[in-house]
Amino acid sequence: MIEAAHATFIQSGVAISVATCGPARVCHVVRGIGCKLVGERVAVFVPVPASTGLLADVAANGRIAVVFCQPSTNRTLQLKGRDACTIAAAPIDAAIRARQLDAFVLEVEPEGFPEAMVRPRFDYPPEQVVTLAFTPCEAYTQTPGPDAGAPLAL
Amino acid sequence: MAIRIDSIRECLDGVIPCTIATFDAEGMPNAAFLSQVQFVDHEHVALSYQFFNKTRRNVLANPDAKVLVTSHLTLENYLLHLRYLRTESAGPLFEQMKAKLAGIASHTGMSGVFRLLGADVYRILDIEAQPGNTVPAPPPPRNALTALRRCAERLDRCSGLDALLQAVLDALEAEFDIHHSMLLLLDAPRGQLYTLASRGYAPSGVGSEIPVGQGVIGVAARERTAIRIGHMTTEYAYGRTIREGVRASASRSGVPDGLETEIPLPGLPQARSQLAVPIVALQQLLGVLYVESTEDSRFGYDDEDALVTLAAQLGAAIHLLQQQAVEAEEPPPPAAAAPATGGGVVSVRYYAENGSVFLDGHYLIKGVAGAILRTLLGEYVEHGRTDFTNKELRLDPRIGLPDLSDNLEARLVLLQRRLDERDACIRLLKTGRGCLRLCVTRPLRLLDL
Repeated sequence: MIEAAHATFIQSGVAISVATCGPARVCHVVRGIGCKLVGERVAVFVPVPASTGLLADVAANGRIAVVFCQPSTNRTLQLKGRDACTIAAAPIDAAIRARQLDAFVLEVEPEGFPEAMVRPRFDYPPEQVVTLAFTPCEAYTQTPGPDAGAPLAL
Repeated sequence: MAIRIDSIRECLDGVIPCTIATFDAEGMPNAAFLSQVQFVDHEHVALSYQFFNKTRRNVLANPDAKVLVTSHLTLENYLLHLRYLRTESAGPLFEQMKAKLAGIASHTGMSGVFRLLGADVYRILDIEAQPGNTVPAPPPPRNALTALRRCAERLDRCSGLDALLQAVLDALEAEFDIHHSMLLLLDAPRGQLYTLASRGYAPSGVGSEIPVGQGVIGVAARERTAIRIGHMTTEYAYGRTIREGVRASASRSGVPDGLETEIPLPGLPQARSQLAVPIVALQQLLGVLYVESTEDSRFGYDDEDALVTLAAQLGAAIHLLQQQAVEAEEPPPPAAAAPATGGGVVSVRYYAENGSVFLDGHYLIKGVAGAILRTLLGEYVEHGRTDFTNKELRLDPRIGLPDLSDNLEARLVLLQRRLDERDACIRLLKTGRGCLRLCVTRPLRLLDL
């Protein structure tokens, strides 16, 4: 179980990037479109159209790294897992993504990205979304500064 | 068709942070946001190395990485497959990235935290457009190539340095909608760049100086590379540091304290975008073309390319005009009768140590331009001469031009403009190719100090 502060942060409508590395030692990266907790596991939503290679990597070895960043503060956290897998969508997932997208829009609007631009980019219908769940085994702060890269307690 | 990095350069302007994915010996991935990916050429990019972190450890052990970049215009994502080659910790690429990072740091509240340790150069192995929702790109503000062509045509019509300077700044305003610009030329022996023309500032700042290496303009000159910053940053701002430097230099030159020899550098107090481009001809630095704006991210890669190309044409034109001036000076026209002088006597104080000239106690000019004026006025007061040739000035030991290839014409334009701006009782008129006339309307008293 990750710390409550981390749990709140990663579900607050932050920017998310998901990375994997396949058996051929080639990485894949996509931007995540939301996050939730499933028991002690973290689940990230990724858009299917961009995630072919990423999903293949996850199926092959379950290794995953997910980085979360709040644009307005640069607060950044990375979580890693070794047991990632796809899980079935839950009825509440669309509402979770919508709430986090609302918060993300508020984050990036002051940076010159209007809602009309941002919302379509991150708003995918449920059939185009896959949920990847993993048990965090490593956590790092990556907020720029002297402590960047330091491991965090889970 | 393979995607070329130069067709998606807007993704590399630092507006939306990129993500880098690397892996360790075990094959465990690592993800990190990156503040900067710099376009190098169509086969290479450079990433900012700021901290010795997991990403760096990984690429030193396993050089392959993937970087996800996003267009701030369409929000389209591209995945770059890269291979680490080397790290540069000095030189043009490093300075370009250092300056840009200073702007990004300031914009994101990270001043004092972001510090560039190196420019990590990567080869681009592949670029993949990620499928997904995108938004239509807004039409570009202009076609940079068309604008550049029209600028080139304007420059091509100029037959003298004065007209050329005017044409460049006119062209930037008309074709690129750039309303604040400066042209500075190099005074190599003194390691200074002096402002010869400007647009959009009052006062013009003609005659103001910047040390090579100082701020955006000075670094562009030292490294002979374009320096572009998209956000306001105090690190590259011109202000107190330069003024203090100028004062220190003045006090060393023997000019008494309290006598101001500084012409304020023109410039926007709240510049959010800056672009300085070196003017080079035949591998010699001639000066710097500088533009700025109060808008964030006003100048993109296309503007940088256009201004670099324009500066190349400008450099060639300046060089050509200079060669023509040296080779084809006309004989001087018949001496004109000295105009009548009236009114009170004007004191002209000249400090030989740094060539500074004061008219009735007010600073006018220094350096080579000051020595030229002192020489002309000496000839005028002692022998009544008013007509001169560039050739004699070029050879006159009292002026001490650094060498025959020095741009005397630029010094004369500078002097002429300073006299005009000061509405002085002394003026310089061009009377033919390589010929000039001194016009003095009040009696003068020369004091050498």
